[in-house]
Amino acid sequence: MAVPATVEDVSEGARTTEEELVRRARRRDLQVTWFWRILGYVTVLGLWEYASGRWMREQLLPAPTTVLETFGEIWRGGDMPAAFQATLSRIAVGFALSFVVGLAVGVLMQNRWLEGFFRDAVLIGITTPGLVWALITAIIFGNRTAGPLIAVVLTTFALITVNVHEGVKALPKDLIDMSKAFRVGLVKRNRQIVIPHLAPYIFTGVRFGFSIAWKIVVLTEVFASSSGIGFELRVAQQLFQLDVFLTWILAFYVLALFLEKVVLEQIERRFFRWRREVTAA
Amino acid sequence: MAEILIKNLHKEFGTGADKVVALEDVNLSIGGHVFVSIVGPSGCGKSTLLNILSGIETPTSGTVAITQEGHDAAPGYVFQAARLLPWRTVMDNLLFVQSDRSPSTRERCQRYLEMVQLGDKGSKFPGELSGGMQQRVGIARAFSIEPDVLFMDEPFSHLDAITARSLRRELHDMWAQTGKTVVFVTHDIGEAIELSNRVLVFGKGGRLVDDIGVDLPFPRDAAHEDVALAKAAIYRRFEELDLLVS
Amino acid sequence: MTSRGDEMAVPHDAGLVGTTPAPARRRWTDRRRMARRATRIARSPATARLLFPVAVLIFWVVSIDVIEGVWPFAVDVLPRPSEVRDFVWAELRSDTFAPYNVYETFWISLKRLAIGWLIAMGLGTAIGLAMGLSKGANAFFNDWVVAILAMPNLAWALFVSMAFGFGNSGPVICVVLTGIPFVIINVREGVRNTPRELFDMSRSFRVSPSRTTRHVLLPSLMPFMFAAARYAFALGWKGLVVAEVFGGRDGAGWTIKFWYDAHRAHGVVGYAFFFMAFAIIFEKVVFDNIAKRVFRWRPAATGVEVVEEVFETEAAPPAPALQGGR
Repeated sequence: MAVPATVEDVSEGARTTEEELVRRARRRDLQVTWFWRILGYVTVLGLWEYASGRWMREQLLPAPTTVLETFGEIWRGGDMPAAFQATLSRIAVGFALSFVVGLAVGVLMQNRWLEGFFRDAVLIGITTPGLVWALITAIIFGNRTAGPLIAVVLTTFALITVNVHEGVKALPKDLIDMSKAFRVGLVKRNRQIVIPHLAPYIFTGVRFGFSIAWKIVVLTEVFASSSGIGFELRVAQQLFQLDVFLTWILAFYVLALFLEKVVLEQIERRFFRWRREVTAA
Repeated sequence: MAEILIKNLHKEFGTGADKVVALEDVNLSIGGHVFVSIVGPSGCGKSTLLNILSGIETPTSGTVAITQEGHDAAPGYVFQAARLLPWRTVMDNLLFVQSDRSPSTRERCQRYLEMVQLGDKGSKFPGELSGGMQQRVGIARAFSIEPDVLFMDEPFSHLDAITARSLRRELHDMWAQTGKTVVFVTHDIGEAIELSNRVLVFGKGGRLVDDIGVDLPFPRDAAHEDVALAKAAIYRRFEELDLLVS
Repeated sequence: MTSRGDEMAVPHDAGLVGTTPAPARRRWTDRRRMARRATRIARSPATARLLFPVAVLIFWVVSIDVIEGVWPFAVDVLPRPSEVRDFVWAELRSDTFAPYNVYETFWISLKRLAIGWLIAMGLGTAIGLAMGLSKGANAFFNDWVVAILAMPNLAWALFVSMAFGFGNSGPVICVVLTGIPFVIINVREGVRNTPRELFDMSRSFRVSPSRTTRHVLLPSLMPFMFAAARYAFALGWKGLVVAEVFGGRDGAGWTIKFWYDAHRAHGVVGYAFFFMAFAIIFEKVVFDNIAKRVFRWRPAATGVEVVEEVFETEAAPPAPALQGGR
């Protein structure tokens, strides 16, 4: 670099090289992160592959490659779409019901008396293992449609309620007072303040609830159902085909994770574009 | 008597586009039983200077030495927000910064709590006290280690005017009684004039632009002619600086 | 799951504390005060809370009648409240067909839960600390923590039952696997949220690093550790139950499945009540009390209570409202 003529030049020259340094540091950071992440994948999958047949019998711990092969076989067998469809439709209907119930109870709990009334219901809903509901609904309803749906509602409604309730408690009183001072109407107030404020809370409840809901549907299917993933799992377990069992559960697990992490998160991101600016700043 | 010597101090944050120069070529010497105020617009590096003096941050270049009769001096610090441990009682907060827990140390802490009129609040948690009380605990904490120098970073700026006023009186009395060196950062020129013997004015870009001695008798009444004149003089200086900058 | 159990402690007759009224007006004020007290009791959330089980019981009885009268084929069996009551009572007297009575059963499960929980806490804290402190460790573990978190208990339960047989180790491992992601995530968040300004303060006062660790770092991690402990316990419990159903010889999960296989609906429902009682004892009695002791320094919770009491009960005089808030 030439000898800088003025003070301006010094800072300009320094700035560009330093920017370059920052960019390089950031790139190195990203490389390090990816290196460790990939190392994590390689380590876990490698251990799994290695352990199968060495530390544990292959029947008990089928290697990832075996699971992939089995997946191919089952997929070609053609049972998978029907089973997925049965389970997914149960999840959809059950979780929709649960959402309505959870939201309604959460809104009702604004009232202090009703809060007292529903308090233990929420506590029980959160603390009781889903398995208990699955067994109760299975013994009462047998393999009728109502069983899994009621089990989903009982296990997940409280998660939505708790989040809605938290949101209601944290309503921005200052903004509501401000809008009252400006004589903003009730409808507009709800649309512009209450709903945007509650939406993230509801979303958290939905994501959390969904992650529980699909598991409970599969569990009820294990006990009492003649279709769906849970049913396939029961068959595989009874035949002691652990590779088939693992394949079914992993296949559905990947689908559920996809719905949870990709689909729901995408929707959330679209919903809350205004929040992203805050984190970016 | 404590002696603060700052030579060619330079401090910058960040790199590249985010680079900010906080302090530039500061040379200073502070010593004896003085109350020094540092005033200036926000972002002039006042707080950074205190953080460097107290050892929270390190200078980019230049040297800082705080000595008490030849060896390193112990500083006390009062922050803008009280920075108390919320999970410890008031007394335990004072004991936290002590080097020992002997009965005499306890007694000393209790004495300083009484000096800020919180003698009966030792077993309370900070969350149970008002903002003014918390700040008083912060002041008692700083005095309780009997520091050679005391750094204060806008300690009254979060408080209401009346609480701040009474705390300023308490602070002045404690300074007068204990004979410490105090370095006090503020953006309130009235506050600086009311409390200090010496006012350092920092300008944008972290340069020391003026060093004004305030030789008036205490207590200083804001309505008194000399006090008002001293204040006006500093304001005038600011206006000149503003002209220089723009 | 906030600790709002304080309403129960509000004394309903606190309104009697106050100045003595003049004798001539006493009867009138007494009656008015009693009427006021009655409405206050009826309106209090504590009453509503007591009404909830009553409402459930009524719903239960009515729905049995309706379903049996209108649409009997909608269900296989419907356990009656009286059957469930008899079952619960017999179990509580240790009079049971199952191999272990209810106390032994829950004790067996509790031991497994405690061991698994301790392992999850220890291992999870170590991994969480590493992930909070190092970007590399975070990248290494992160996706797998998420994967373990999202894995259904059922998969763990069946896998460990087949791999480790019908003993204690299967259920314990299942507890560890279900609980550990929550410990890791909470500890990591705790490390990331350490209060920088308090560390600066400690440094400026020349406080020693060991002292800073004890008085600043550990207390600031406490809320996160506590949340981790609570989640790991609650979720580990759920995981344990599933593991016992599929790979146990005994324990709470195995016993409820025992009643299910015996086709005793009242046994399943009765055991469900034991499950609820067990969880509530731990959530509300054990953990809430620990929280109260550990987080004494947090005035926020009680502060909010006071505000609500003052603003929402117009009928109540201010004095007892403030007493209630403490």
